[in-house]
Amino acid sequence: MTLAAERETEVVYPDPTPPVLGGFQGLPARPGWFSQHLGTAAILAVGGYLLGHWIGNVMTSGYDNVAASGINAVPVTAGLLGGVLGWLLGIGALNYPLAKMAGMEPRPDYESTSWTRYFRYTADHKVVGMQYVIGVLGFLFTGGLLAMAIRTELLSPTSHLFGPGTYISIVSEHGTVMMMMATSVIVGPLGNWLVPLMIGARRTAFPRVEAFSFWIFTAGYLVILSALFYGGFPTGWTGYAPLQTQAPQGMMSYLVGFAVIGVGMMAAGFNLAVTIINYRAPGMTWSRIPIFVWSILATCALLTLATPTLVAAGLFGILDHTAQTAFYVTEHGGSSFLWQNLFWFFGHPEVYIMALPGFGIVAELLPVFTRKPLFAYKVAAAGMIGVALLSFFVWQHHLFQSGINPDMRPLFMLTTELISIPTGFIFLVGMGTLYKAKIRFEVPMLFCLAVFFNFLIGGVTGVFLSDVPVNVTVHGSFFVLAHFHYTIMGGLIFAFFGGLYYWLPKMTGKTMNKKLGKIHFWLMFIFFNLTFFPMFLIGLLGQPRRVFEYAHNLQALNDFASVSSFVLGASFLVFVANFVWSIFIKPTPSPANPWDSLGLEWQTPTPVPYYNFARIPVVLNDPYHYGEENPPAIADLGDGILVAAGASSPASVAEDPRPPAE
Amino acid sequence: MSGETAVTDTADKPALFTETPEEREFELRAAVGSYWTGGRLLIGMYTFLFASLAFAYFYLKSNNSGQLWRPKQITAPTGIGWAIFAVVATSALLAIYGQWRMRKDSLLDWEVSGWVAVLGILVAVGLQVWQLTQLPFFPGSSGYASCFIGWAVMNIMMLLGGAYWLETNLALCLRLKRLDAEDGDPSTSSGPSAQLFRANVESCTYFFGFMAVVSGLFWVFFYLI
Repeated sequence: MTLAAERETEVVYPDPTPPVLGGFQGLPARPGWFSQHLGTAAILAVGGYLLGHWIGNVMTSGYDNVAASGINAVPVTAGLLGGVLGWLLGIGALNYPLAKMAGMEPRPDYESTSWTRYFRYTADHKVVGMQYVIGVLGFLFTGGLLAMAIRTELLSPTSHLFGPGTYISIVSEHGTVMMMMATSVIVGPLGNWLVPLMIGARRTAFPRVEAFSFWIFTAGYLVILSALFYGGFPTGWTGYAPLQTQAPQGMMSYLVGFAVIGVGMMAAGFNLAVTIINYRAPGMTWSRIPIFVWSILATCALLTLATPTLVAAGLFGILDHTAQTAFYVTEHGGSSFLWQNLFWFFGHPEVYIMALPGFGIVAELLPVFTRKPLFAYKVAAAGMIGVALLSFFVWQHHLFQSGINPDMRPLFMLTTELISIPTGFIFLVGMGTLYKAKIRFEVPMLFCLAVFFNFLIGGVTGVFLSDVPVNVTVHGSFFVLAHFHYTIMGGLIFAFFGGLYYWLPKMTGKTMNKKLGKIHFWLMFIFFNLTFFPMFLIGLLGQPRRVFEYAHNLQALNDFASVSSFVLGASFLVFVANFVWSIFIKPTPSPANPWDSLGLEWQTPTPVPYYNFARIPVVLNDPYHYGEENPPAIADLGDGILVAAGASSPASVAEDPRPPAE
Repeated sequence: MSGETAVTDTADKPALFTETPEEREFELRAAVGSYWTGGRLLIGMYTFLFASLAFAYFYLKSNNSGQLWRPKQITAPTGIGWAIFAVVATSALLAIYGQWRMRKDSLLDWEVSGWVAVLGILVAVGLQVWQLTQLPFFPGSSGYASCFIGWAVMNIMMLLGGAYWLETNLALCLRLKRLDAEDGDPSTSSGPSAQLFRANVESCTYFFGFMAVVSGLFWVFFYLI
C-alpha cells in the first residue's frame, strides 16, 4: 500500500492473542514470566544496592572523615543510587531509552487483561493510575502507622516509649513519607487515570515517562524507608542544615529519596501537562476543559518548575556528604540558610501542588451532586492559575525567624496574604455552586463538604501565620502543625477519598458499599477534627513540635488528641475493609454512570478499553450543564451518540447544534 | 438514581481498535505538538535547576561566610573552562546549522554535523571530568569551590542528556532512511514517523541552543566575575 492510500484508509489493528505488551520492532517479544516485572525489579534493586555499596567502598577506602559529618557516606549513597538504577532496570524502565540509542522504536502496545499488568511497566495510563492508587495508599498507611507511634509516645509527658533519637526519627520519617505521598496522591492515581479520559484523549503524550514516574516514585519510597535501617535522620521532613550535615547515614536516604521522588514528580507533571496541552479532543477549548483538568494543569506547572529546585538542593546536600563540598556548611564558606531558601522555594509551591488537585476534585464533584452548573467556572480556573503563580513568591515566610533581612518581612507577609485571594476565589466558587442547591448527600459529596469545613479552618489560621508577629509567636509550635494538617489532610486527603469514592466505580466497575463509606466518612471527619483542633490550643499554650517531652498541664489535651487519632487511624481501616469487600470479596457491578455525570470519563464503556474511546469525541460544550431546561449537547461520541443532560438513553439524544455536514 | 444522562452502554464496546484517517491526523498533530511542548517544558525544568545553582552562587557570594566565598580569588583551571565552553558552543552551532540544512533538504549535512556535535559534547564531558582532577582547591574549601563542583556535576548531567537526545535522533534517522525510502528521506517524507522525527530534531536543536546559553552564563560566573 502506498503512503497516500494508507493515510486514507481506516486502520484496523489486530486483536492480539495472547496479549503482547511492548517490545521493540525487530526484536522478539518475551512472554510471561521471562519478561520484566516487580520480581525482577526487586532482585536487581538488591543487586544494584550491593554493587553500588561495594563500588563506593572500593572508591573511598580510607576516606572516612567527610567534612562536617564524621562519616563516610559514599558507599551508602552509591548503594542507594545503585538500588534505584537496578529497580528501574529490573522493571524495564530503561529498555526503551537504551533501545532508542540503536534507533529502535517500540511496538504499538495492545490491551492486556491479565492481572499481571499491574506488576509491570506499562504504557496504559489506567493501569499506571491503579498502580498509583495502591502505591499512595501504601505510603499513606506507612505514614499513618508512624503517626500512631508519635501519638502513643505523646500520651505521657514523662513516661516514654521511645528514646529521643528514635522519636525524632519517627517524626522525620512520618513527615517525609506523608509529604512525598501527598505530592502524588491525586496527580498520580486520579490525574493519570482520568485526565486523558476527561479531555477525550486515547492516550497520554509520553506514556513511558508516565510509567517511569510511578516506578521511580516507588523506588524513592523504599529509599526513604531505608533511613530507618541507617539510624534515621533527626531533621524532620524539612531537613534543615546544619543538623543535616551532622546527621548519621540515614540522612542520605532522605536526600537521595527526596531527589529521586523529585525526578518522578517532574516526570509525572511533564507528561500530564504536555497531554493536556496537545491531546485535548477536537472542540475541547480551554473554556470547556473540566475544572479538575485545570487544577491538574496548574499543579503540573508547579511540579515541573518548582521541583527542579528540590532536586538541586538534594544534589548539593549529597555533594556535601560525599564530595566534601560545603554548600550548607557555614564554617567553610557555605550557608545553612541556603538550604532553607532552596527547600522552601520548592516547598511552598509544594503546598499548592498538594492543595490544588483537591480543589479541583471538589469543584468537579459539586455540580454533579447539586445538579447545578459550576458557579463562575472561569473564576475558579483563574484562581487555580493565580495560586500557582503566586506560590513562587511566598517562600521567604518560612524564614521569618531565621535568615531573612527583617526589612523583607513585610513584602513576604503581603505576598502570602495575597495568595488568600485566588484561594478565596475557589472557595467562593464552591459556595456559589452550593447556594440554593438540592444537595445529594452521597459519600463523595460528604467528603467534599468536609473539605470546605476543614480548609476554612486551615486557611484562616494560615492567614494568621502569614502575619509576622503571630508567626514569631507560634513558630515551631503545635499551632503550625495543626494548621498544615488542616490544609493538607483536611483538604487534600478528604478530597482524595471523595474522588476515590466517586471514580472507583468507573475505575473498577464495582460499587463501593455506601453504608461503610458513610461510617468511614463520619469517623474520619469527627476524629480528624478532634485530633487536630486541640493542637491549636496545645500550640498556643507553648508546646513545641518534634519534642517528646512537654509540660504536665498539657497532658489532658495531648491524651485527648492521641485517643482521637487512634480512632482516626481506625477509620482508614473501614475504608480498607470497604475496598476489599466491595471490590474483591462481594463485588457488586456498578451502573454505567452511577452519579449521572456529564463528564466524558463516564461516557466510555466499563472497563474502559485500552484506547479509551471507540471514536475520538468532538466536544461541543463544557460538562456542567446540569439542571438546565434545554441543555445543549456536551459531546459527540461518534456513531450518532451525543452526550447531553436530560437525555434518558442513548436513543433519545439531544439535538446536534452543528449545521449538517456538506 | 434517575437516568438523567445519555451514556454509552458498557456492553457495546467494539471488539477491535479502529482509527479513521481524521483520527490518525489528529493523533499525529498531537504527537508533533507534544515534542514541541515537551522540548520547551524540559528547557523550563532545566532553567529552574540551573537557576537554583545560580541562586546558590550569588547567595554564598553575597553572604561571604567567614570571608570564605573565594579566598585569594582562586579560580578553576581557566584554559580547560574556556575549552569546555568553546566545544559546547561549537556543538550547539553545529546542531543548529545541521537543522537549518535539513530544512533545506540536505539530510546528510545534518547527520554529519549531528555526529560531530555528539562527539563534541562527549569531548566536553571528558574535559569537564579532567578539569575536576586539576582543581587548585579542595571542594569544601570555599563557597566558590562548592558551587564549582555543583556546576561540574550538573553540567555533565545536562551535556550527557543533550548528547543522548541527539544520538537517538541520529540513530533513528539511519533506521528511517530505510523505512521511508519510497517517500523520500526523513527530512522530506510526509510519513508520520518522519514528521515526528523532524519535530523531535527541532526540539533537540532548541535544547542544544539552551545548553550553549547555560554554558556561557556559568562560564561568566566562574571565570570572569
